[in-house]
Amino acid sequence: MKDLAQLALDEAVAAGAGYADARAVLEEGESLSVQDDRVEGVERSATRGVGVRVLVDGSWGFAGTARLDREQILAASRRAVAIAKASATAQRRAVRLAPVQIATGSYTTPHGTDPFDVGIDDKLELLLAAAAAAHGEPKLSLAKASFDAWRTTKWFVSSEGADLQQTLLQLAGGVECIAVGDGEVQVRSYPNSFRGYCATGGWEDILALDLVAKAQQHAEQAVALLDAPDLPPQTGTLVLDANQVALQIHESVGHPLELDRILGYETAYAGTSWVGIGDVGSLRYGSDHVNLTVDTTTDKGLGTYGWDDEGVPAGRHPLVVDGVLRDFLTSRETAPYVDDQTRSNGTMRADSWGTIPLIRMTNINLEPGSGSLEQLLDEAGDGVYMSTNKSWSIDDKRLNFQFGCEVAYDIRGGKLGKLYRNPTYTGRTPVFWGSCDGVAGPQHWQVYGTPNCGKGEPVQVARVSHGAAPARFRDVQMGVR
Amino acid sequence: MTPQATEALLGRDGFSRLADAALDADLGGAVAGVEVLLQREAGGLTRFANSQIHQNVWREDLSANVRVVTDDGRVGVASVHTDDPAVVASTARQAAGIARLSPPDPTFPGLAPMAKAGDVEVDEATLTSTPQHRAEAVRTLLAEVDERYEAAGTYRTQADEIGVFNTEGQRSYAPRSSAALTLVVTGGSSSGWAEDGGRSRSDIDPAAAGRRAVEKVRAGEDPIDVEAGQWTVVLEPPAVGTLAAYLAYMAFGGRDYLENRSYAAGRLGEQVADARVSLTDDPRSPHAGGYPVDYEGTPTTRVELLAGGELRSVVHDRNTAKQAGTESTGNALPAPNTYGPMALYPMLAPGDGGSTADLVAGCERGLLITRFHYTNVLHQKETTATGMTRDGTFLIEDGKVTRAVRNLRFTQSLMAALAQVEAVGSETAFAGEGFEYGCRQPALRIAGFAFTGTTSFG
Repeated sequence: MKDLAQLALDEAVAAGAGYADARAVLEEGESLSVQDDRVEGVERSATRGVGVRVLVDGSWGFAGTARLDREQILAASRRAVAIAKASATAQRRAVRLAPVQIATGSYTTPHGTDPFDVGIDDKLELLLAAAAAAHGEPKLSLAKASFDAWRTTKWFVSSEGADLQQTLLQLAGGVECIAVGDGEVQVRSYPNSFRGYCATGGWEDILALDLVAKAQQHAEQAVALLDAPDLPPQTGTLVLDANQVALQIHESVGHPLELDRILGYETAYAGTSWVGIGDVGSLRYGSDHVNLTVDTTTDKGLGTYGWDDEGVPAGRHPLVVDGVLRDFLTSRETAPYVDDQTRSNGTMRADSWGTIPLIRMTNINLEPGSGSLEQLLDEAGDGVYMSTNKSWSIDDKRLNFQFGCEVAYDIRGGKLGKLYRNPTYTGRTPVFWGSCDGVAGPQHWQVYGTPNCGKGEPVQVARVSHGAAPARFRDVQMGVR
Repeated sequence: MTPQATEALLGRDGFSRLADAALDADLGGAVAGVEVLLQREAGGLTRFANSQIHQNVWREDLSANVRVVTDDGRVGVASVHTDDPAVVASTARQAAGIARLSPPDPTFPGLAPMAKAGDVEVDEATLTSTPQHRAEAVRTLLAEVDERYEAAGTYRTQADEIGVFNTEGQRSYAPRSSAALTLVVTGGSSSGWAEDGGRSRSDIDPAAAGRRAVEKVRAGEDPIDVEAGQWTVVLEPPAVGTLAAYLAYMAFGGRDYLENRSYAAGRLGEQVADARVSLTDDPRSPHAGGYPVDYEGTPTTRVELLAGGELRSVVHDRNTAKQAGTESTGNALPAPNTYGPMALYPMLAPGDGGSTADLVAGCERGLLITRFHYTNVLHQKETTATGMTRDGTFLIEDGKVTRAVRNLRFTQSLMAALAQVEAVGSETAFAGEGFEYGCRQPALRIAGFAFTGTTSFG
């Protein structure tokens, strides 16, 4: 496959590209789903192709093809150059790329057992056992269990001399317990909603979830939710489980700090940002408890790799320090807009051989605070605790958000009390993060995968992660219906 | 078709060669059936922002999805992206291997029988669009945007093909063309939206779209706050498209219906919406962007979901149809499908309410909504969703648009909204938000639409 990338690169340069890079990508996938005692789907997939990206006179062109004979690849390179020339007819400012240290080398996701080396029958046995365990709760209506794996091998070469090979292993697994009542459907997911645990790593990480042992407890919660009251409207203290903090980071920190978005590149689709390029160093994003990083080295993170899809090496960079904005997510094209000395912090990823790299979230983490979850609840006074995302929505500047969770409890005297269903909360980004007065310590900090992040046109779906611990917020509007 | 248009497609013969490689492959053991779903997508998308082209891409992809069923009812699926018949044959063997590792599926309904699917309208000029043509269209619309404003959006042209071939004798093949334009024009305190699209690039008028978006951004300047609460709204077609798509997802899938998870469960035949409201799923309509066949080989059909406000039916694939004791409506997604069937082209029928301006004229006090943003489900069974307004939200007073207002968040049962429809527009326009390529929708006037929050920009 590397030869195909090199062929595409050489032809693009010969056709007139001032800069070019080419990626050859092979992505293998496996997806297993069961419902109750029945296998719903077993699929293996493979997609391979070559994408070539070129700059001609400061304008971009890109072409990708899954037809891998020599003529088709040469045609794709020539097409990319022709597209770049067409782009130049509606150009205001020529693209300038920040410098990068030219890299050669390889990277493989650290793992024990490659999930593709485990038999499909063994995996189905685990999923069916988990679904059966959920039905230990006799009132449960439906039990679903799923497993997904992706093994992506990519070769990257550039006209600047980069020559990289990476193999990334990502996987997901979990259980969904569904209780259906009169006019009401309630779901509890383990260990998280939207395909469960999602991370880089090996099969051992799925076994460590202990899906079978956890399934019935979540089934019982789903059934109990059918008879629980809706969370009443109120404004007060909210403690979020780490899995919901993760999605809060995703929507109200990750997206608004993408520099391409701030520069207007995503205006027509996902929108822009409430943050301006001049806000670095002065904008108060949150309280002193709020420290956020972009870290492409996070253990188990779905955005962990050796280099991004522009050949920029992985690293850890602060975004918000003690509540103050310090940086954005950047690329080689956008970094010079901050200042001439700024280099990319390595967040460019394409979701396949057939798409261009975009600034993506990689791993955006809320750094842990101190103390235990029990202390966080103790100091809450009266309040509400919510866990596990069910719904999300935010405006096109990433200011006004509304989330729904699977489950909520009263906090009374530092203890979790009465159960509520259909909990929601809403707020505005800087006000909400500004009201954060506690983040639990490292013992509660985990990395949560978000496997369905959409961005760009044509839409690209990225698998990204967020490290988070439970956190407490004051004066939050809850129970919006 | 012209030679040029033919070259833009792989064609029935090319699809047959790939499919036959799987259908004729030696899969070992006892095989009851093989299905090959082939999809080719070839197209260019020119993306512009800050009034210049900033991303400009072309991609050609060809995928084969092979489903193998063994004699004892075990099912396996493998997929690959290739144009090599030998690789497709090898993928069929992989699917057979997966099937043998899986337990029997007693619910499997069998493969689709042979049935003539017919064609949908294909536009040759769209199939053969070039980057130069797309760039010209972008320059044309940018010429309508004066320097006070910035334009961002996309211009896409697409040549797609589908083929579903199986051992029951089904050998359906169909090409389709599509084109779409989206545009946001932004100013200091406002933004304006316009979109166009259809099966042909001639459905798009870039200059007119540019003028519409500029008109919106101008009218949107200096927005004021209004209170959240219940408002009469006039929804323009892009906003109606969002409403229809989310209703299709929440209420009209056969699987959720059978599992009692859908709004429709137990309500077939009930009057659930205003009598002015009729909703159909019609993928092969000239006003939609679908294929004449679904992803398991059943011809697509026109399905009445709501007729005169009455909940008439849900959509089915072969699996849910078997469980419901009925026939597939041609709404299958590619196997293996854990979501169930989907109405991919839900369209509200136009009414007798006149133009959008007429709907506004009939409103004493309300809000004119151009489009919604980031809508999501809060309660499927109640069809409750939340989302934001975007790119043009205006106050209506005494039948006239008087001011721009800052964006609001709605939290509303969408089916309840259809029960409160006051008028349905007589004209339709393209609305791209949906599951595939979008379709045409009328405008609606709805009473008592619930807004639960505000924001600080227009």
